[in-house]
Amino acid sequence: MFLIDTLILATGVLLLLGIVSSKVSSRLGVPVLVLFLMIGMLAGSEGIGGIEFENYRLAHAIGTVALALILFDGGLSTSMSSVRLAWKPAAMLATVGVLITSVVVGVAAMWVLGVSPLQGLLLGSIVGSTDAAAVFSVLRSGGVNLSRRLTSVLELESASNDPMAIFLTIGCIELLLGRMSPGVGLLGLFVAQMAIGTLCGLIGGYVAAWVVDRIELDASGMYPVLVTASCFLTFGMATHLGGSGYLAVYLAGLVIGNRPLVFKRGVRAYHDSLAWLSQIVMFVVLGLLCFPSRLWAVSGKALLLSAVLILVARPLAVVVSTLPFKFSWRETVFISWVGLKGAVPITLATFPLMFATPDHALQAAVLFDVVFFIVVVSAVVQGAGLTPAARWLGLEHPPAPVAPVTLEISSLKHVEGEVVDYAVSADSRAAGRKVKNLGLPEGAVIAMIARGTQIIPPQGATRVEAGDHVILVLRPRMRTLVNRVFAPAGDSDGALTPSFEFPLRAATTVGELIELYQLPLEGPSDRTLVEAISQHFGRYAELGDSVCYGTVTLRVDRVGDGGVVEIIAMSVVTEPPASRPVGKKKPPSKDAKPGPGPVA
Amino acid sequence: MDFADFISKKAIRPQLTATDKEGAIREMVQALLDAGEIAEDQFDGIVQKVLDREELGSTGIGRGVAVPHTKHPSVEKLCGAVAVSESGVEFASLDGDPVYLLFLLVSPPDRPGDHLRALENVSRRLRDDQFCRFLRQSKTPDDIWQLLEEADNNQFGA
Repeated sequence: MFLIDTLILATGVLLLLGIVSSKVSSRLGVPVLVLFLMIGMLAGSEGIGGIEFENYRLAHAIGTVALALILFDGGLSTSMSSVRLAWKPAAMLATVGVLITSVVVGVAAMWVLGVSPLQGLLLGSIVGSTDAAAVFSVLRSGGVNLSRRLTSVLELESASNDPMAIFLTIGCIELLLGRMSPGVGLLGLFVAQMAIGTLCGLIGGYVAAWVVDRIELDASGMYPVLVTASCFLTFGMATHLGGSGYLAVYLAGLVIGNRPLVFKRGVRAYHDSLAWLSQIVMFVVLGLLCFPSRLWAVSGKALLLSAVLILVARPLAVVVSTLPFKFSWRETVFISWVGLKGAVPITLATFPLMFATPDHALQAAVLFDVVFFIVVVSAVVQGAGLTPAARWLGLEHPPAPVAPVTLEISSLKHVEGEVVDYAVSADSRAAGRKVKNLGLPEGAVIAMIARGTQIIPPQGATRVEAGDHVILVLRPRMRTLVNRVFAPAGDSDGALTPSFEFPLRAATTVGELIELYQLPLEGPSDRTLVEAISQHFGRYAELGDSVCYGTVTLRVDRVGDGGVVEIIAMSVVTEPPASRPVGKKKPPSKDAKPGPGPVA
Repeated sequence: MDFADFISKKAIRPQLTATDKEGAIREMVQALLDAGEIAEDQFDGIVQKVLDREELGSTGIGRGVAVPHTKHPSVEKLCGAVAVSESGVEFASLDGDPVYLLFLLVSPPDRPGDHLRALENVSRRLRDDQFCRFLRQSKTPDDIWQLLEEADNNQFGA
């Protein structure tokens, strides 16, 4: 038997354990990444697996590849609209926020570990960034619904703050090794990392999207591989030119994911799988790398530092960096809580181990153990506390209207339209109604209804039942309207609006509305509608806020950069519809409908 | 409040010629003028008031429908015009699509309730896809008037 055969067997077992552990993670209330780490530790030299692994270079290499793939997938699945919604606060958190966190933890480390200021800052920098993989997995599978702005800010922040932490870490190491002096050189390093990373990412993304659209491959299975190749190319280009590869792949993913791509869903599914594989492999390897006995030795000090990080450094960083963006105190507390650490700090903690020289020991081993401990504490405490925190702070939102499963039309060319599969829940507006009474918009047709093992060809009189899968063919842009037809009945978001809504610019003043509609609005007439709504809620207006003024309801309908309200929708409901006696005025026309032919 | 209470039968234009917002509004105010609902010397003032209201936010409310409206002291009672455009009017709607059905309302300043009730009626009726489809396919003012009457008598859903 070759060594590789044993390795393959071990890999299979570990991957399987990782996947199985994800099934129990929500029941235990522990983020899945902690379980992956545990598996690695159990399989390691001090656990039952007894696998000897102490190759920091290899661990760093695996961590880098895995992180690149995770961030790339994060970019692919982030929509441009959430970027527009959140990029300003996220950018502040990812730069100023990381710096503040690092400095505060650094000062604490200086005192707790008794090290030099620079050495302390090195530790602070390593644990300065929140982890994209951890935040994504907790937010997207944690069963907690937050406002879109909040989710977007947290996801964007965690995806984009790694370059800052990496830069700070490398900067500290260079300074400690005496290879660079503080000042211009350090600043140049930062600018180069950011600028070159951004540039490479954007170019890589656009070029990849362009190529994918035109290459016309025969085998659809090659499209995802092509996209992966572009991810690696972008990363490699950026790092070789002196930029941040992580930033570059995230941006490239963002660009590619927001373009209409051939075989897009295949590409997405493939990269989603790759990201999961990367997470399992990375955390298991990092778990293998650590020695629980050494963790125990640093536990007291590391616990103290974790407390400082979670309770002091992160909240301070969040308060300062979100100051210009009008978050409510509840949101600020929550953002502070979601400072989950993950793979990046552990990967970064291998840097000092690799760079340490006999002259400059950097206290790398202790650093690694402390970092490892802090990450585990942060992931367990903050990860497990995330859902309760959201609930306690009252930030949970009702779940969005049923996210229907979309099937892909199997074509390698663009098709103007979609095939969508709606799973009809018992509380869906459509359940129990006949097809002809669903009120489907023009441009949406039911292709088939799947009930149990049966396929029912739909007719006007066919009744849609709970549990059915209704498969529709839609013209582009019909999705929102059709979503409403199938949304749960009590869900005001998905409800067919009681009437059409009139969009109003946010800067419209109270006076203008009173002049036109005599609404019972209060306050000075030069106050804007946003100010009126904000005053009503005692905080800045948010997407979905709605206030009733007599017969008119104003609802915040569109929010732009940094949460600034752009459009307020006005709807009028004066009386319940159809309560009027029929035939009050004139008898109903007995003639056939004019013009058009019979009703379809 | 029914369509018949405020839409002027003589101010129905099944073939709107304008393709831009201001042109369409002018044509519809002209229709009110031709129907004798407004005074000739008020024409420009009313057009301007309707356009002023558009400044607050387009009354193109999506799905090919626009409901431009305003108040004007020169009218004694709520009056309205209906127009159908075959080629579509660029109306700066929120969904970006051109509009094909237009309901213009001009209300006197002292009847805010009627104004809102009429707006609500129009927007509620226009939610019915079948009603909209029939309106768009109508070729004569009589066809449109008949559809409005049928809507008043709840011949359409909602």
